[in-house]
Amino acid sequence: MRISTILGMALQSLFRVPATRSYPQERTPSPERLRGQLRWNPEKCTGCAVCVKDCPAVAIELLEVDKAAKRFVLRYHTDRCIFCSQCVQSCRFKCLSLSNEAWELAALDKQAFTVDYGRDEDIHALVEKPASTDDPPRL
Amino acid sequence: MTTQPDSAATPKRFTIPIGPQHPALKEPGFFEFTVEGETVIGATLRLGYAHRGIEKAVVSRTWVQNLYLLERVCGICSHIHSLAYCLGVEKLAGVTPPPRAQAIRVLIAELERMHSHLLWLGVAAHDAGFETLFMYSWRDRETILDLFEQISGNRVNHSINTLGGVKFDLTAEQIVSVLKAVELMEERARYYLDLVRNDPMLGQRIRGIGTMSAAEAHRMGVVGPTARASGVGRDLRVEAPYAAYTAIPVVVMLETDGDLQARFIVRIREMFESCRIIRVLLDHLPEGDLQARMPRRIPEGETIARVEAPRGELFYFIKSNGADMPERIKLRTPTLCNLGSVLALCIGRQLADIPMLLIGTDPCFSCNDRAVVIHQAGNREKWTWEQFRRYGNEALR
Repeated sequence: MRISTILGMALQSLFRVPATRSYPQERTPSPERLRGQLRWNPEKCTGCAVCVKDCPAVAIELLEVDKAAKRFVLRYHTDRCIFCSQCVQSCRFKCLSLSNEAWELAALDKQAFTVDYGRDEDIHALVEKPASTDDPPRL
Repeated sequence: MTTQPDSAATPKRFTIPIGPQHPALKEPGFFEFTVEGETVIGATLRLGYAHRGIEKAVVSRTWVQNLYLLERVCGICSHIHSLAYCLGVEKLAGVTPPPRAQAIRVLIAELERMHSHLLWLGVAAHDAGFETLFMYSWRDRETILDLFEQISGNRVNHSINTLGGVKFDLTAEQIVSVLKAVELMEERARYYLDLVRNDPMLGQRIRGIGTMSAAEAHRMGVVGPTARASGVGRDLRVEAPYAAYTAIPVVVMLETDGDLQARFIVRIREMFESCRIIRVLLDHLPEGDLQARMPRRIPEGETIARVEAPRGELFYFIKSNGADMPERIKLRTPTLCNLGSVLALCIGRQLADIPMLLIGTDPCFSCNDRAVVIHQAGNREKWTWEQFRRYGNEALR
């Protein structure tokens, strides 16, 4: 490398902020396929629970409200999830997807890591059943 | 530093323990060097500090769940581990993945090889005290990690593989960005090759150091780029082609010097070869499905799967009893084969060369810790190849 190049780079560095990117003020758009938080669409779910069976991290629970009417609540544990997208693959009815926007998942309390998906009335029906924040059941 | 009991007879001889926690090594491994002045005259190694019981854990998870556990054996070569597992399980189930899936598997494997070699180049440069090269190569590595994120959605644990094929397809835009990245990688590799061959300061740390002849490399059973730098042309992509390598002949990069510099050069030259393979693959990317249908229960039987990981031969033994969980999975990572050579190469070298010699094999301690054999004080024994083989066979039973 020539001396002039080195001097040029040194001068440039003098006027640059010591950061590659000033996150969170400056954000780069996340890639379309980024695997973030899980999303569930209750409309098409048949309650086959293949996602629960295939999840390598025990991050999904499918709670029954009314099995005959196909009313379920999907309890998703963000803190256990390894974002491998196996559940998305396993679902034959395309109910599951991983969001490419919800990836900043840090929280100060454990409750924030348990997300209930489903119709509002179904979630209310399950209110008396508190979300389990214990360690995941052993495989 | 501990003085040996016979220090009265040889006053200059003492033992230096390095590890398990030591600034020179990022991963836990314990070395004991006996030195006379600055010269190493004896070396021992103890492993097992990062033993995670993965082989035990896989027998209580389903075939699908194991995909993600085995992917996490190593953080750098995550794809190649899941690839070896998939190849084995697919062989047992009698399923052949579609050609497009096989091509994508090889594409990711070659991108991973480049990123692994760049990561290694950075670490080796850091150990040699060449911080600028460390910064440069890790910056270039980001390009490949960004590609992984674009293609699969995750930078490290790509989870591209699934039993019976791959999960993610390549779009036309992604192919363009892969080609652009390959062009950049070639340009950078050319720069690094020139640097490694001609930089006088780096040359002092790597030229003529840790020389291993082809005969020694054979005897010590080293694999991967470490063997190829000594002129031993071991490469499973050529010897036992798998996935799309059956259609794409790989040129084995060989160097004959066998010193540290040769290990640098082999790895950088392999980046050019990876670039070439990726170009050929993308030119002849087959159309079609991504996945073949896999049964949930794998038929009874046992098989082995061997793949060429960035560090050398990766070996998987898979045994099924017909259930939805494996009965036994045994894996051997390339680091284990290469570590023995470090101990032999250390003898007669200066103590200051040891970190470079160790890093020359690209060690990954966490992925190589499988089982522990504890030597009690005064009960040390030397194992022959035959004893190792017998021990391995017994462990499989």
